[in-house]
Amino acid sequence: MSETGRRLTFEVFRYNPQDPDSKPHMQTFEIEEVPYMSLFMALNEIRETLDPSLQFDFACRSAICGSCGMMVNGQPALGCRTQTSDLPDVVRLHPLPVFKLVGDLSVDTGIWFREMAEKSEAWIHAEKAFDPQAQEDRMDDDLAQKIYDSDRCIECGCCVASCGVANVNAEFAGPAGLNRIARFAMDPRDTRDDDEWFEVISNENGVFGCIGMMACHDVCPKELPLLEVYAYLRRKALSTAL
Amino acid sequence: MNLLKPANTATRQLVYELLSGGTGLVLALFMWGHMVFVGSILTGSRGFDWLAEMLEVYFIAQPTVIVIFVLFLVHAALAARKIPAQLVERRKMIELGKGLKGAHEESILWIWQVRTGMIVLVLGSFHLVLMAIDVLTPLWGERIGIEAVTSLERVQAGLWLPYAILLICVEFHASIGLYRLAVKWGAFAKLGRSTLHTIERVILWLFLGLGFVILLVLAGVIPPPLAFLLGGNA
Amino acid sequence: MTPRISSTDVLVIGGGLAGERCAIEAAAAGHDVLILSLVPPRRSHSCAAQGGMQAALGNCVKAEGDNPDVHYLDTVRGSDWGADQKVARVFADNAPIAVRELAHFGVPWTRVKGGKNSYFIKGERVEIEEALENDGLIMHRDFGGTAKWRACYAGAGTGHSALFAVDAEVVRLGVTVRDRAEAVELIHDGSRCYGAVSRCLRTGEHSAILAKATVIATGGHGRIYGQYTTNATINEGMGAAIALNTGIVPLGNMEAVQFHPTALSPSGILVTEGCRGDGGFLLDKDGHRFMVDAEPEKQELASRDVVSRHMAQRMRDGFGVETKHGPHLWLDVRQLGDEHLRTKLREVWEICRDFVGLDPAQELIPVRPTQHYSMGGVRVNAEGEAYNMAGLFAVGEASCWDMHGFNRLGGNSLAETIVSGRLVGQRIAQTIGKGGVDAETRYANEALQRAEERAAGLLARQGDGPGVYAVRDAMAEVMIGKVGIFRTGDELEQAVAELGQLLDDCDRIVLRSKAPGMNPELSFALRIKSMVRLAYITAKGALARTESRGAHFRSDFPLRDDASWLNRTLARWPEAAAEPDISYEPVGELDVPPGHRGYGADERIEMEMTVEDYNRQVEDAQRAAGKLPVEGML
Ligand SMILES: Cc1cc2nc3c(=O)[nH]c(=O)nc-3n(C[C@H](O)[C@H](O)[C@H](O)COP(=O)(O)OP(=O)(O)OC[C@H]3O[C@@H](n4cnc5c(N)ncnc54)[C@H](O)[C@@H]3O)c2cc1C
Ligand code: HEM
Ligand code: HEM
Ligand code: SF4
Ligand code: F3S
Ligand code: FES
Repeated sequence: MSETGRRLTFEVFRYNPQDPDSKPHMQTFEIEEVPYMSLFMALNEIRETLDPSLQFDFACRSAICGSCGMMVNGQPALGCRTQTSDLPDVVRLHPLPVFKLVGDLSVDTGIWFREMAEKSEAWIHAEKAFDPQAQEDRMDDDLAQKIYDSDRCIECGCCVASCGVANVNAEFAGPAGLNRIARFAMDPRDTRDDDEWFEVISNENGVFGCIGMMACHDVCPKELPLLEVYAYLRRKALSTAL
Repeated sequence: MNLLKPANTATRQLVYELLSGGTGLVLALFMWGHMVFVGSILTGSRGFDWLAEMLEVYFIAQPTVIVIFVLFLVHAALAARKIPAQLVERRKMIELGKGLKGAHEESILWIWQVRTGMIVLVLGSFHLVLMAIDVLTPLWGERIGIEAVTSLERVQAGLWLPYAILLICVEFHASIGLYRLAVKWGAFAKLGRSTLHTIERVILWLFLGLGFVILLVLAGVIPPPLAFLLGGNA
Repeated sequence: MTPRISSTDVLVIGGGLAGERCAIEAAAAGHDVLILSLVPPRRSHSCAAQGGMQAALGNCVKAEGDNPDVHYLDTVRGSDWGADQKVARVFADNAPIAVRELAHFGVPWTRVKGGKNSYFIKGERVEIEEALENDGLIMHRDFGGTAKWRACYAGAGTGHSALFAVDAEVVRLGVTVRDRAEAVELIHDGSRCYGAVSRCLRTGEHSAILAKATVIATGGHGRIYGQYTTNATINEGMGAAIALNTGIVPLGNMEAVQFHPTALSPSGILVTEGCRGDGGFLLDKDGHRFMVDAEPEKQELASRDVVSRHMAQRMRDGFGVETKHGPHLWLDVRQLGDEHLRTKLREVWEICRDFVGLDPAQELIPVRPTQHYSMGGVRVNAEGEAYNMAGLFAVGEASCWDMHGFNRLGGNSLAETIVSGRLVGQRIAQTIGKGGVDAETRYANEALQRAEERAAGLLARQGDGPGVYAVRDAMAEVMIGKVGIFRTGDELEQAVAELGQLLDDCDRIVLRSKAPGMNPELSFALRIKSMVRLAYITAKGALARTESRGAHFRSDFPLRDDASWLNRTLARWPEAAAEPDISYEPVGELDVPPGHRGYGADERIEMEMTVEDYNRQVEDAQRAAGKLPVEGML
């Protein structure tokens, strides 16, 4: 529970690329804090009462759709999950880096992730066609659980924004990209063989682009075991080569 | 899949990665041995000379100097691939690392790894050249090889300063490097990352401390503390 | 740059599970498909579904003997006999195929573990030995209103995993997706649909897309209840609205609104039914399990309408925990244990930690019934075709295909999205011709112009009219206060009057921001009138329906009335009319005659007609409207 009665100051990055008169700048807003206030509530309040032109993205407001990644005091986080009670009196909000800016706090993560999925062919490469009459293929529950652990990524882009390499190398698959690759690499339903995976993984834009900065793992709001995932990919590359 | 670069670079990339990590690992392990070797000065000049001579008589020192020098350069060349070429990019990385909550440790540490690596490259090369001359030529001292007199003289003549810097840089660089290497490949994963980090810090301070005592002895500031082992006088 | 007018074979409006599953079918058949979505498809609200997807695979011990017939029966009972039973049958038969197909697409379904398993059933821990020969098959969990364990699930992220797998197929097939694009108007000539006008939510520009088939797959419209919903902020019902705005296409059963028993109080974030399915309890402020008294047989796992009503009643009776946000009850999952909560209900565990700062293994979760699902939507026939408009289809929650009737069973809507998406997609793939779109661009140009003028008009309007958010808040208060779980004639009359007033207000709204580009205030203002119209139809339909059926409960008419109300509400809003036009059609041919659901009240007003007469009447009505199912289609 937050202390109520606190006045919060928000310094928000503003820029509307659609407006020729708009220049990137920071704008300050002040609002009253209420109990259980999230950035979702705070930003909506700012938009509805102070500046109706403010752009930001929320959809599920329950930390599951991945729409609302933003830089909160320099740290990528989901706006809907961030409680103001965990923040200091002054909150600086920026859009996520790496992704293309739509306006203010809104960025184009969807396009980035679609391209990543296309590049890494992030879908099940099945050999046989689906047989509507057949029983499902079996899978060990522990394996299913492991795949699910990786599948839980909501493509919010926080990890990508936090990664030094992804920030300077646009070709790098990025933490979430590596995670997607691993998710399909460990799925027995995907029939790509080790040699094919080797080409994707063992690559300076693949797992060897990662220099172990570990920020991705620390900011991931879904707490994905990203570091374990990279270790898995490295070892897979090594064992394929041997 | 078009994440892949022109075909067949995968094997090469893997080799590069293994080499940069492997040379780092070997160099770091070497530094532990190095610490024992130079540490023999703690028992006094006699011990130091005895060990140096043994290593030379059995032809351990000579190839080691060459091999280490090669590994050193290979590691530097390969690891440097990962350093962003452009200043703006480096600045971006630094800004990012600083902004992350409480300044994200491993991100900042990586930047310091690069910085210390650069310093090690300069000072280490210089040191290695010195050692190569020492071990392979009769230029200094009474015979071919490393001798306590030369070392003490050198350090006391002023080399203590670059050595102190090199010591800090190399110990820092190596310990965080080992930690990163373990996390990257999932070694000792059972211990968990925070335990590994703690181990890394223990190693860092242990070797830094030991190194400084050695350096103080070499600089003649304190007498060899373990001299009693060899019966007293330095 | 998006071209001002473009064309495609199939235009799918909505990138959720239903829309994408439909798109896959058309694309796999070689048609050119374009998907429009407000958000990147993977952010559609399907991703928020946690608990599971119903399909009668019968893989675990507690599912033994399950088959599509049982599933069908549960669905009809759940619907309180409001469903089209033919559709429910097709649905139940196809659900196992669609779910297995998702396994083929990559969903990491939780699997049966052969050997001893420990479950929590009706308040007791039970050891059950799963057959070794079933090891590795898709596992089920219990859900409300079902005779067997039937919900297939992937942890507590079923919708997420399903949506990602289906979207991966969309990417594989190279289907074009235009995200941050909103369909704002259908292009049609009064009897045939030729596509839609889309507004870009990056730039605010409009463009027209001509298509041979147009599919509305825009999901639910819970946001007509403002913040009192489990739905995402994007569930504003624009798909249903653009169909309604043609003046010709009817919406079905809009008064059938589901309230989910366990949404977090006060945020409205959903806590899945899987919690109760896996053995969670509902407690009142004294820690008493009131559902055991109310429904001794199904207890917490009666259907949602029944549980929500008991909860609302309990709070009315003063057994709620009072807070300044209103009363709530407790959901207790402590008995499931930390391990279970952190794996099989991990999303729930995280939601509790992140949004109310509590550990569900130790503490009680504050919950209350909240708007959750729209049974109503664009009325379509069994093939997914909208009434009165050739070339227009609807699938998923946006549609009223009508397998849910007046109450949807938990887990049935995810299953519906993929079953209807699959079948309707096949239907479209088979029926559209090879040639180009035979639309006259005149209609596209006219629609484009209308949309652009509407936006320009709003931007230009000056003066001191109401703000758009004030209208929204007023609508929300009317809906939750007067068109909620318990409804009465008086309150509904007030609701209709107040919403009518708000409709007028919509025409006077003045924007405070004239910012160029997408302008969030303008974007919302362009929707608000349509939202109020949906709300109005909901209230009006509820007022007219003087019985209680499923989620529609009239305190003044508490009985289900099969003599007068075994029918479906259809609402059209003729162009320029001040009022919608409400009519009724029979629910469809009866296979299972109306009876007791097995939970809830057993009293009702029996139908007077014989089932045979009723069915004859259905057939006549359908023949007259040309809506008989196409032979051999399903
Ligand atoms: C919190 C929650 C939990 C749930 N849990 C379960 C469960 O466990 N089991 C179950 O069976 N059901 C569950 N449901 C219900 C189920 O998830 C939904 O009914 C179902 O996912 C709807 O899918 P859809 O494809 O029809 O629509 P959605 O997934 O909502 O997709 C709608 C799409 O339409 C797009 N769109 C909307 N308007 C426009 C427009 N004007 N122009 C262009 N695009 C537009 C959106 O961008 C989105 O892509 C749950 C629902 C909620 C809210
Ligand atoms: C010559 C100057 C040196 C430079 C410029 C340098 C630079 C670097 C850089 C940039 C990295 C990070 C590489 C990556 O993340 O992939 C690195 C890693 C490492 N370095 Fe060095 N280094 C130098 C010398 C040394 C020395 C002398 C040692 C041993 C004492 C050492 C041990 C390590 C280790 C163990 C790693 C970790 C390897 C990995 O993470 O893959 N380095 N070095
Ligand atoms: C085979 C190669 C090497 C040999 C034979 C060697 C030998 C020595 C010797 C004899 C000394 C004592 C001081 C002197 O005589 O100048 C010394 C000190 C030192 N060396 Fe090396 N060295 C080698 C490689 C390295 C490398 C690769 C590094 C790190 C990059 C390094 C870092 C140091 C440091 C920091 C000291 C200062 C003493 C201390 O405080 O530990 N050496 N080395
Ligand atoms: S890995 Fe985590 S941080 Fe990265 S996109 Fe996925 S959920 Fe977000
Ligand atoms: S932050 Fe980047 S460098 Fe690697 S460990 Fe994470 S991907
Ligand atoms: S709004 Fe969906 S994750 Fe924040």
